[in-house]
Amino acid sequence: MKKKLVSVLLTTAMAASMLTACGSNGGSAEPAADTAESTETTAEEAATEEATEEATEETAEETTEETAEETSEDTAAAEDVDYGTGEIKIWVADNVVDFTKEQFDKFIEENPQFAGYTATVEATGEGDAAGNMITDVEAGADIYGFAQDQIARLVSAGALEVVEDSNAEKIKADNDAGAVSAATVGDTLYAYPLTADNGYFLYYDKSVVTDPSTLEGISEQCEAAGKNFYFEVNSGWYQTAFFFGTGAELTYDTDNDGNFTKCNSTYASDEGVVALKEIIELANTKSFQNGSSISSATDVAAIVDGTWDAEAAKELFGDNYACAKLPTFTGSDGKEYQLSGFGGYKLLGVKPQEDENKLAVCDALADYLASEEVQLARFNAVGWGPSNLKAQGADEVKADEALTALGEQLKFAIPQGQYPGDYWSLATSLGDSVISGEIPADASDDDVKKALEDFQTTCESYAK
Amino acid sequence: MIKTGYKTKKAIGNVFAYIFLILICIIWLFPFVGLVLQSFRSYATEYGGMVSYIVPKQFSLDNYKFMFSGETNFLLWYKNTVTIAFFVSLLQTMVILCVSYALSRMRFAGRTLLMKSWLILGLFPGFLTMICLYFLLKQFGLTQAGAIPGLILVSVASSGMGYYVCKGYFDTIPKALDEAARIDGASRARIFFTMTIPMSKPIIIYTALVAFMAPWNDYIFASYVAFGHDKSYNVAVAMYRWMNTNDYQGYFTRFCAGGVLIAIPVTILFMFLQKYYVEGVTGGAVKG
Amino acid sequence: MAHGSKTKNKVTLATLLSALGNDLKMIGLTFKEGDIKTKLSFIIMGLGPILRGQILIGLVLMLAQALFFWYIKGFGWAYLSKITTLGTVATQKIKRKTVYGDNSFLILLFGVLSIFAVIAIITLWRLNVAENRKEELALKAGKKLPTNLETFTSLFDKNFDKTLLLLPVTGIFVFTVLPIVFMIFIAFTNYDSNHQPPANLFTWVGLENFKELVSFGNQGLGPTFFKVLAWTLVWAFFATFIDYFLGLAVAILINKKGIKFKKLWRTILVMTIAVPQFVSLLYVAKMFANDGLINGFLKSVGLIENSIPFWSNPMLARITIIVINIWIGIPYLMLIATGLLMNIPEDLYESARIDGASPWQMFKSITLPYMLFVTGPFLLTQFTGNLNNFGVIFLLSGGGPGTISYAGNAGTTDLLVTWLYKMTVNDSNYKMASVIGIMVFIVTAIFALGVYGLLPSVKDEEGFQ
Repeated sequence: MKKKLVSVLLTTAMAASMLTACGSNGGSAEPAADTAESTETTAEEAATEEATEEATEETAEETTEETAEETSEDTAAAEDVDYGTGEIKIWVADNVVDFTKEQFDKFIEENPQFAGYTATVEATGEGDAAGNMITDVEAGADIYGFAQDQIARLVSAGALEVVEDSNAEKIKADNDAGAVSAATVGDTLYAYPLTADNGYFLYYDKSVVTDPSTLEGISEQCEAAGKNFYFEVNSGWYQTAFFFGTGAELTYDTDNDGNFTKCNSTYASDEGVVALKEIIELANTKSFQNGSSISSATDVAAIVDGTWDAEAAKELFGDNYACAKLPTFTGSDGKEYQLSGFGGYKLLGVKPQEDENKLAVCDALADYLASEEVQLARFNAVGWGPSNLKAQGADEVKADEALTALGEQLKFAIPQGQYPGDYWSLATSLGDSVISGEIPADASDDDVKKALEDFQTTCESYAK
Repeated sequence: MIKTGYKTKKAIGNVFAYIFLILICIIWLFPFVGLVLQSFRSYATEYGGMVSYIVPKQFSLDNYKFMFSGETNFLLWYKNTVTIAFFVSLLQTMVILCVSYALSRMRFAGRTLLMKSWLILGLFPGFLTMICLYFLLKQFGLTQAGAIPGLILVSVASSGMGYYVCKGYFDTIPKALDEAARIDGASRARIFFTMTIPMSKPIIIYTALVAFMAPWNDYIFASYVAFGHDKSYNVAVAMYRWMNTNDYQGYFTRFCAGGVLIAIPVTILFMFLQKYYVEGVTGGAVKG
Repeated sequence: MAHGSKTKNKVTLATLLSALGNDLKMIGLTFKEGDIKTKLSFIIMGLGPILRGQILIGLVLMLAQALFFWYIKGFGWAYLSKITTLGTVATQKIKRKTVYGDNSFLILLFGVLSIFAVIAIITLWRLNVAENRKEELALKAGKKLPTNLETFTSLFDKNFDKTLLLLPVTGIFVFTVLPIVFMIFIAFTNYDSNHQPPANLFTWVGLENFKELVSFGNQGLGPTFFKVLAWTLVWAFFATFIDYFLGLAVAILINKKGIKFKKLWRTILVMTIAVPQFVSLLYVAKMFANDGLINGFLKSVGLIENSIPFWSNPMLARITIIVINIWIGIPYLMLIATGLLMNIPEDLYESARIDGASPWQMFKSITLPYMLFVTGPFLLTQFTGNLNNFGVIFLLSGGGPGTISYAGNAGTTDLLVTWLYKMTVNDSNYKMASVIGIMVFIVTAIFALGVYGLLPSVKDEEGFQ
């Protein structure tokens, strides 16, 4: 016991001395008298030095070697059509990994001049791709799929190569206009449109919701059945359904480098007030749940979600599966509005390359993966709605229920442009404030307007 | 008479104590019971997403079959985690023992400075340095494909700073033993290997156990170092996606099954070594 | 007390300066009085020892010098020379090909590494001088120098500490100290999403970022910073002390005479330590969601009509986090307390009982003071650990819910650490993250000091003797 106490005191004393005399001169004040010891320190520190230096030196050598190799390759490539060999790293969403592998093999079959290249396909979520690319562009994928809201961030981080001119013309002609504008930053086309199904609409349970045409009706029917109605109002993406629906605006202008130059917003207006008040009203209904992911939702009777969840929704609702465009709602001013929202796109990007040959292969591959046939094949494999106009016209695409509902909704939606990353977090804060009651259910028009004015000012501050 | 009154009072006290303990245990076990039950929910008939009930309507092994089916790299991730945990545990224990012995038993110039500065360094929010560590590891080729050795290296390299508990334990071993051995002509190294280490079983097991458990939780740094390279993921990185990425609809029950599989080895190990854990932590951490 | 430490600091500064002076004097003296071997060693490290037969020491020194020059010439200088500007060559496009220019990030990183190497070689050089002097003096005094074998075996005896510490110290320097120094430098640059290497350069901006943090204007992060800081402190306080006292209570309860199955109770509680947190906490977080199990159950039995907003109401979310943390924290404390309670001498209780003390009195005057005394340092580490408790917040609430009254995308349950995690990962705002990181460090250090002064084991060292 006593011994233990002594040791407690020792530690305390040690820590106390540490706290009172940080940065004291423990080592350097030692006089040179302690000679035997300092000799040994010399020997060992030298050894340490050795180890680190060796390691660093090695890497230095490697780097120089690499550069040397590259330069020689480059000069060779100028007059040769030999594309050499290499490895292309591709990042796509988990459910299309196998599909993309198959398509790569087909691509090589059709283009034997690229046979020296192999591909590794990794599952990286379209939301994560940008974050990972930006962490280390050089180690990132050569070709990667991403949701369009990331494009400005990727361009300003130098993670996207401009689409080659000849490809660009073809893409502009073949894809729907919204897709092209989604892939454009400033006036430059930076990515290959992959899908045009990044919008949302309503999935619902036929047995509970009999009339999906009005928001109020859906809420009531869900409530009556003790079921939940999911609408992710704390997401900058879903929230716009209300604001754009009443006619409020929020868009950004960008320059060619992905910088935001101007914010056009009319949220702090009567239209904005009607929209936010409707969100408040919805958030305070009993059946309301905030969310948009079918697999983490419980007791769902209706959910505002996108085509990527179509399979999950079919499984969940079984025979009662149904989908429709978003409902209308009666605003606080007594007028009736149709919910709007974003029509968004998934894009495929190519990373800037230090090797022109590899870039040529990547260009060709990205173009192939975004082509009409592959988009159609992808639709058949995993149900992603194509952005290619011809593929959109195909019979099987037209017959798809979810895509039809989305198509209906897209008539009211606004093609999604570029938004700064901060906007999404800010919108989440706005939504959270409504859900938490910080903006109360009985907020006056003035309070609501005040909140929107702050929101708009902050939005404007993101564009410099 | 008085005695029986005392006894009844005591008995009543015990009854309350039992009720309270049972209540606590129910609360403590509830999430685990939920996790296990959900992991047995049939994927085919009841869907893999979230539900609002806890007892599955139909029990099945669907989710476990999925884990072993090879549809995902689950077994590889599992192997990665075990590899990391094993080597980190082994090497980290060695490093901590060396550092603790030197700090506890030897007096050298700069000793207190070293201890002070390490304690202060430990207060710096560690993961701010992630991006820096990432590029350091990249120089050695220890990211993406080489992420496993990279993660081991980073965990082990800084582990010397965790000397605190182990040194506290060494401090409780009487110095007189060392002195006696030195008089008999034993070198420091000999004393360390033949006397101190054999006497430190609880603290060695404690250190190894703590080091073994940490990598199972490593999500942030592991996802940084291995990004975009599925084969280098550990279970935490791989399975975190199942809960938080939209690409993985209906993976909830699979997550539960994976969670159960992960929890099994660590729990068994912990249950068996619990005694040493208590001895180590009370003997070293708080110097009781 | 405060005054005392100040004087102490002054004293240490003075000794430091005089030590430095002595050092320089010694170096000068060595050169003046030294023979040719010593003088040559000033340029070629380790030459003197080699010539005097101390081959082991000499070779190591010489090798170190050679390696240093090799490193600086082949690798280090390229970065070190650009550290004042962090690079000037911008990335270019040659037709479709990208030619990367200077990489500011790597320049700073390896520049700092090179500075470390320079400091190391200077230290070694000083030791090299001292070694020469020592050898010369020993020879002059007619003593014999140790043989190479003796030097080597001393590594396992007298100098065993150096053998033991060599690798750990190196590891900490490269993988802890270097990154921390690097991140502190980042706070003085404009490294953010618009200045991302390798495509873009970043450069030094002085104290700009610190000004941004303390500015209270519309865009400033100041007010938010203090709100987040306040919650961080409140959280750390509750998380530490509630867990502590409840853990102690549970341990006492299980230790109580007449309670059977002691081991069973403990084992059940200890499950939370054994099961990896990312599994158990992610599950618990979903359990408490608006549409989760708990709300579902309460609704189905008719206790509530609307969901309890465990995660969407800021106040409730904070409370929920603290409560769930009890679930994690109690088992640890229970384990520790169990071991310690057994150490309290039974005779203390015995005599108290004879004096007619009630159980509560005994707890108050024996158990609690003893526990607080013994676990003081542990409590301190718990507290600083909780200030930086990333895992619990990240897995439970992710910092949410957000609010329009916070700037910089902070959420209402964000700790400073989770906030700066968001900054780096979501916004690539490394400059502000490292400014906040430095602040976190300062706050943690100050509170560690403050709490330390309150510890009974520091205040009353004689308490239990």
